[in-house]
Amino acid sequence: MFPTPIQKRSEAVRVTYQVFLPIALILWLLPLIAVASFSIRPLTDFTQGNFWGWPSSFNLFTNYGRVFFESDMPRYMLNSLMITIPTVVGAVALSCMTGFALGIYRFKGNLLIFFMFIAGNFVPFQILMVPVRDLTVSLNLYDTKLGLVLFHIAFQTGFCTLFMRNFIKALPVELIEAARVEGVAEWRIFWFVVLPLMRPAIAALAVLIFTFIWNDYFWAIVLTQGPEAQPVTAGITSFNSQFVAQYHLMSAGSIVAAIPPVAMFFAMQKHFIAGLTLGAVK
Amino acid sequence: MSGVRMEEVVKRYGDVQVIHGIDLEIADGEFCVFVGPSGCGKSTLLRMVAGLEDTTEGAMHIGGREVTRLDPAERGVAMVFQTYALYPHMTVRENMTFGLRMNGHPKSEIAEKVAEATRILKLEDYLDRKPAALSGGQRQRVSIGRAIVRGPEVFLFDEPLSNLDAELRVEMRVEIARLHKDIGATMIYVTHDQVEAMTLADKIVVLRAGRIEQVGAPLDLYRDPDNRFVAGFIGSPAMNFVTGVVQDGAVDVPALGGTVSPQVELPAEGTEVIIGLRPEHAKIDPNGTTLTVEITEALGGISYAYLTSSAGEKLIIEERGEISSALGDTVSRTFEPHHLYVFDKDSETRIR
Repeated sequence: MFPTPIQKRSEAVRVTYQVFLPIALILWLLPLIAVASFSIRPLTDFTQGNFWGWPSSFNLFTNYGRVFFESDMPRYMLNSLMITIPTVVGAVALSCMTGFALGIYRFKGNLLIFFMFIAGNFVPFQILMVPVRDLTVSLNLYDTKLGLVLFHIAFQTGFCTLFMRNFIKALPVELIEAARVEGVAEWRIFWFVVLPLMRPAIAALAVLIFTFIWNDYFWAIVLTQGPEAQPVTAGITSFNSQFVAQYHLMSAGSIVAAIPPVAMFFAMQKHFIAGLTLGAVK
Repeated sequence: MSGVRMEEVVKRYGDVQVIHGIDLEIADGEFCVFVGPSGCGKSTLLRMVAGLEDTTEGAMHIGGREVTRLDPAERGVAMVFQTYALYPHMTVRENMTFGLRMNGHPKSEIAEKVAEATRILKLEDYLDRKPAALSGGQRQRVSIGRAIVRGPEVFLFDEPLSNLDAELRVEMRVEIARLHKDIGATMIYVTHDQVEAMTLADKIVVLRAGRIEQVGAPLDLYRDPDNRFVAGFIGSPAMNFVTGVVQDGAVDVPALGGTVSPQVELPAEGTEVIIGLRPEHAKIDPNGTTLTVEITEALGGISYAYLTSSAGEKLIIEERGEISSALGDTVSRTFEPHHLYVFDKDSETRIR
């Protein structure tokens, strides 16, 4: 078996492994641990440089209380939901259709279109920053949730199409042929035969896209400003006043903002892993 | 009147031609079997009848109506697939009624048709199960039931029994034969299994490389093959072929231990020919010396002996009961001259 299980290696290797594993783990988690510990410190700890020492007081309730009741955080969370959920629904719905078209129908340029969907994923989105912003401004969509949703859908559909097309391609084509011989209309074949069989793919993709979009920071700060439309990832910085960075509140806000995708991951772990491997295996 | 007629039907994928101008007439109510080795185009031809593959050239008629350019649904056919093609998320009942429901047939009519199909196929106990909870044979029965419910003019079967184990295959074969008798609809059946072809067919169409080699009733093909391919394809084990040379009005066949006189008009003196002899038409003569017994297989009721001539030509002989000759024995074989088939060496057509 490769790699050799650690229990079967020499004593020295085992000891080294046991020493380094916790160290690596702590290093890996350090930023998260720092954020978690910052979120319960008072601001004075930061001004006095007490980042890693024992907190001067435990302000768990004060900090989180302020996040929930004295800031725009609930508003930002709501914005995030109102951006993420329509994007997931839109991108998954569109890609079910594009995937069906590209996976089932044989037509000239099928592969070409499919490759363009894939190629789109390789364009670094940073270079689209300025044109997309200009476009949103000229469409009167700048600083609106709708604008963010539309652009997220547009950008995610490429990846989703790749995923869905490969999944549909793997379905037995006889099912569709059987339905065609029976005289079932194409859209009914899509709705009643293909869509129910895509449920696992839809679940996996929805979980994946949910975390992608929730965690998006780039487009959030490019296309929105202010609590009207900004999602929580961008909204965290709003704690900072003009001169003072409110690190303790930003930390608490970050923890709150991270809860939905993390909870989603644990609740839907099976689908999440499936989502990461499903498109890859075929 | 719902026969199928093909006129000069051609199928091309780009530059590759897979069906080379097929003319075929299948009468109303006939059970027609397309048979041939894999890649011979039999499934493609069936799918062209179904409308799942476009017909590149020629015309296709079903029930006197030209259907060449029609959609599958408009052709009045129902198809049974090798992989059953049951919708996995629907129960047996939903599977069978899907097409009718989608096309807005009244509920009472659907229920009636399902009841009849279930009765014919004895599926009463499974109606509310999903396909995953059924065995292979039951799944194929459901798939056939789905075809029956549609009440088509023509049933199309694409290797329906290939995914079943040997025992079920025999059972389903009988069931399909019974179904044809009960319903009396035209059926086209694709298989590479010549036992299925022989037992089910009214008419067998032997295909090779997109061309028809011969069309006829099963026993006609068996008794009177037009060429070496058909002779070798129909019958199991396959017909033995050995080479011979025409000499003095007879044929000298070393593998058969001398000259034989088949009852045909032989070609000119010195012409090389191929002699065919079915395993079941020969007997082992233990006193002979021309052939060596390589292997014997005893199946109980019958036995097979695999023999090799000194020139390396292989022959199979089928005998009732057991074969007494041991491995390595030299034997020859006896046969009736009228059981010999003669084929041209180059064109492989039959010389009669």
